[in-house]
Amino acid sequence: MPNIKNKTGVGQAIDRVEGHLKVMGMAKYSTEFPVKNKVYGQGINSTIAKGEIVSIDTSEAEKLPGVLKVITYKNAEKLNTFDQVPTAISTTTIAPVLQSNKVHYYGEYIGLVVAETFEQAQHAARLVKFEYRKDPNPAIHLDKHEGKAYKPKDMEDYVLGNLEAGLSAADEVVDVTYTTPIEHQHPMELHAIIATWDNGKVMAYATQQMVNDATIAISDTFQIPKKNVRIISAFVGGGFGSKLNTERHVIMAVMAAKMVGKPVQVTVTRHQMFTNTGLRQFNIQKMKVGAKKDGTLTALAHETLSHTSPTQEFQEPCGQVTKMLYKVPNNRVTYRLVPLNIQTPFAMRAPGEATGSFALESAMDEMAWKLKMDPIDFRIKNDTQVDLSEKKPFSSRLLVECLRIGAEKFGWKERSMEPRTKRNGNWLIGYGVSAASRQAPYQKTNAKVILALEGNKVNATVRMDGTDIGTGSYTIIAQTASEYLKIPVEQVTVELGDSEFPVTPGSGGSWGAASYCNAVMAACENAVKTLRENRNIKEEEEVPLAKLLKRNQLKQFEADGSAEPSKEFNDHSVYSFGANFSEVWVDKDTGMYRIKRMVNVGAAGKILNPKTAYGQIIGGLTMGAGMVIAEQSRIEPNFGNFITRSFADYHVPVNLDMANIEVVFLPEDDKIANKMGVKGIGELGITSVAASIANAIFNATGKRMRELPITPEKLISAAVEPNVAS
Amino acid sequence: MRPFTYTSATTKEQALQAFHPNAHYLGGGTNLVDLMKEDVERPDQLININNLSYSKITAGANGGLTLGAMARNAETANHRDVRTNYPLLSMAMLSAATAQIRNMASNGGNLLQRTRCPYFFETSMPCNKREPGSGCGAKNGMNAVHAIFGYSDKCVAVHPSDMCVALAAIGATVEVQQPGGSSRLIDFNDFHRLPGDQPEKDTTLQPGELITAIHLAPPSFADHYYYLKIRERSSYAFALVSVAAGLQINNGTITKAGLAMGCVAHKPWKLIKAEAYLAGKQPTQANFDAAADLEMNDAKPLQENKYKVEMGRNAIVRALTQAFDRKA
Ligand SMILES: Cc1cc2nc3c(=O)[nH]c(=O)nc-3n(C[C@H](O)[C@H](O)[C@H](O)COP(=O)(O)OP(=O)(O)OC[C@H]3O[C@@H](n4cnc5c(N)ncnc54)[C@H](O)[C@@H]3O)c2cc1C
Ligand code: SF4
Repeated sequence: MPNIKNKTGVGQAIDRVEGHLKVMGMAKYSTEFPVKNKVYGQGINSTIAKGEIVSIDTSEAEKLPGVLKVITYKNAEKLNTFDQVPTAISTTTIAPVLQSNKVHYYGEYIGLVVAETFEQAQHAARLVKFEYRKDPNPAIHLDKHEGKAYKPKDMEDYVLGNLEAGLSAADEVVDVTYTTPIEHQHPMELHAIIATWDNGKVMAYATQQMVNDATIAISDTFQIPKKNVRIISAFVGGGFGSKLNTERHVIMAVMAAKMVGKPVQVTVTRHQMFTNTGLRQFNIQKMKVGAKKDGTLTALAHETLSHTSPTQEFQEPCGQVTKMLYKVPNNRVTYRLVPLNIQTPFAMRAPGEATGSFALESAMDEMAWKLKMDPIDFRIKNDTQVDLSEKKPFSSRLLVECLRIGAEKFGWKERSMEPRTKRNGNWLIGYGVSAASRQAPYQKTNAKVILALEGNKVNATVRMDGTDIGTGSYTIIAQTASEYLKIPVEQVTVELGDSEFPVTPGSGGSWGAASYCNAVMAACENAVKTLRENRNIKEEEEVPLAKLLKRNQLKQFEADGSAEPSKEFNDHSVYSFGANFSEVWVDKDTGMYRIKRMVNVGAAGKILNPKTAYGQIIGGLTMGAGMVIAEQSRIEPNFGNFITRSFADYHVPVNLDMANIEVVFLPEDDKIANKMGVKGIGELGITSVAASIANAIFNATGKRMRELPITPEKLISAAVEPNVAS
Repeated sequence: MRPFTYTSATTKEQALQAFHPNAHYLGGGTNLVDLMKEDVERPDQLININNLSYSKITAGANGGLTLGAMARNAETANHRDVRTNYPLLSMAMLSAATAQIRNMASNGGNLLQRTRCPYFFETSMPCNKREPGSGCGAKNGMNAVHAIFGYSDKCVAVHPSDMCVALAAIGATVEVQQPGGSSRLIDFNDFHRLPGDQPEKDTTLQPGELITAIHLAPPSFADHYYYLKIRERSSYAFALVSVAAGLQINNGTITKAGLAMGCVAHKPWKLIKAEAYLAGKQPTQANFDAAADLEMNDAKPLQENKYKVEMGRNAIVRALTQAFDRKA
């Protein structure tokens, strides 16, 4: 029963409940917790891409004042190691480290120095000398090792209909390849941990997106009971996927704490964030699109070639969008992986969808241009309300509405179909569009609510092990409690990120908002229901929470709640949809361009808080723009190290790069998705942004930029497409 | 970071005396301290020179202007006389780095900032500039942001400063104090050097010499100027290619041209041929094109930086056009 008078409930654009803590520097991030007697660990990284360590000289480092221990494979604790190589990596996978003299990639941890101060540890780490037997032929370049490509274990080839038949039935065929570079998640907060080992029990303040999974990974790696591991992750300064799994610095910190008998803090440096905390893999995506003259799709194929590490396997599902976004009878989606001497890739914001949508939505634009059809009409013509890959209807799908409303807001009718025809001085002006989709997963989640009566007021505390990775989870959880307990948000305290709290799936994959809030709603409803039933209160009678506790003669009351996908959910395909529009001005001579305007329309279920939701979309658009403008991690072909070593050379967009942004949420009431009708938006915002900008660049210049990022150097060197009048 | 000692000098004598071959003067520290953290620079002593009395901007000879070596980049770029008489310098300096870095960076330090070549920064890779004799990783490696002019087999790095490109176009002299106590003047074009066989030497400065001032030539380009910086993002990025263009125009004729390019050579690349060509000519598109071609015909791009030739050519023409169009 929604509370109309509630100004702080679900759907209200309230300020972040934890905002003042952050602004005042009072929100405690992992290494800000005061832990007595803590010492510092500094990881040492390999400086070869492949080979073996043949000797280690720790004497100089050990002589330094303050140095407590130098840990290498020679004296490290024995840990659980993979029984299969490569191992499919997930968020609970063990993370063995310092277990052998083998080096698999440049930057792999080969040691840890523990010292009394951070400076001592850093300095000593440089004094440990390693000699290697270097393998002269590390595998670094994907193109050179294509022959070693194999089908990843859990990625069967997807085939619908007959692709070749679909292509022969087509009037026009687009057959092109897109590439996207290695990118890094680079959350603002560096990965970090303070770990304590006390008689076989681990206590750690660690910056993790999923604390429950981290306890599993740690207990499995050290082979200790899960109940002996406690993780606290109260505030997380961004994750973008890089903090989903348990990285090796966590294991090193715990190991060191055990070995030196003191709490050990390990902070991963920004430079190490390139080599030790995951990355978005380099993808080569081959696309084939077949269509009839009238715009009907006849065939669609998406073949992705990527790389993984020699020991672990990960593939971002680039072809996911191609399986479900359009109505096409003949469809093929495949993945192949090549093991390279580069660290294991892992999820980065909208894994698969962010990069796959660049390929699909660029290819759709290429086909629309071939057909001389408006790219919006082309997409609408091939809309589907059924997910053909799952043979399930969508729970809700407002893609066509997103495209139409966006076109109106953006002024799409001002676009000229012919590239290079809209100009202003030295500028070539282009408009681009793309469709966006992102799965709206939802997972079993538990929550506890504790009510405490104080005078005539009830204060509520919500507890769950979920995390707020900077997205606004604290706020929407508080709003949900406010809504269903009918108390103002000021009376709600949210406590997150402690593995001793009720288990949740954590933050990631855009499932946080839906999963957390539905569980909180359930806990609140259970509390109210129990209190009413205890006193046999009739349904019509409205009793405020304080009275309810009083009538129960209770000062305090606790209730649990949980939420999980329903049968209806499982019978449907549940996605958020959106559309991106961009206006780009390209300098005709210098290769520089400016993104002038962006309009993003999203249909993402119930918007819990327009302010935090807006923040998520702006962040997504900025990160999507970053994919186009400059974001890339470049690997030295002979040495295998990243030559982009810091934020000075790993370019993310700056304020000046960003456009005027308009964000529109379409009202959507999807009770199949979950009771509250919430779908995630954290990843929808980045999806297909790159394509809309690249398509605008084509419309401006007649140049088809199929390789991200689109830097001035590439743009100036690219040729105008043959069928464009220049 | 390796341990080092720290001395703060209050007079130039103290600073010069404290100097020894393993010491470094500390300006704003925005380049030096970064390189120390990367283990590239390994001084055993830092001599803070920020308290010396060389932080003023004062009138110079013949209507010129003298920039103190310890004046901050931000203060210099925003100084009234710089904005009025040397807007080209101001524009170039404001295109560099970020507001925070410009607030710290000193003019002397800016001249001596080191290359951004990634091999130089990574101690596990070969680099003749960092470790003479170890080889040049970039020559046959990743050299997209490297030189197209004046490089050697030993080094293909570029000088990254924006300020210096404008100084090369405007004309300047660098005043330095020598350890012996005397001072000398270095023409700005002789201050930075080409790599040749000694890429470890960025400049002609001798060990221990302290920069105290930069004397700007009398202003010629207050009316017609433009600094074009082509880069990967709109701010906080080094140039791929940049051009500083100043024109003096009298009765429709170019009486003097000041032109230099950035990020194309081991030093700010003064476009001497183009300057000479334009002097006495009309400011027309055809003359701008011809001037640009004259310079760019000499370019010898490496494997990955061929784009710099067309980009550089277009940038010269665009900068000249913008300089001409700019109404005083
Ligand atoms: C992330 C980042 C981005 C940047 N982007 C740009 C950019 O876009 N464009 C650009 O032009 N620059 C850029 N810079 C570089 C910046 O301009 C330089 O770091 C700065 O100008 C150096 O000045 P400083 O006073 O801090 O020098 P310091 O770091 O203090 O010193 C540099 C060197 O000069 C020596 N030195 C300093 N002063 C004197 C003196 N008076 N006499 C003798 N020796 C001296 C020092 O010993 C040291 O070797 C950037 C820097 C960073 C960190
Ligand atoms: S170009 Fe110069 S700085 Fe770069 S690796 Fe070669 S020698 Fe070193």
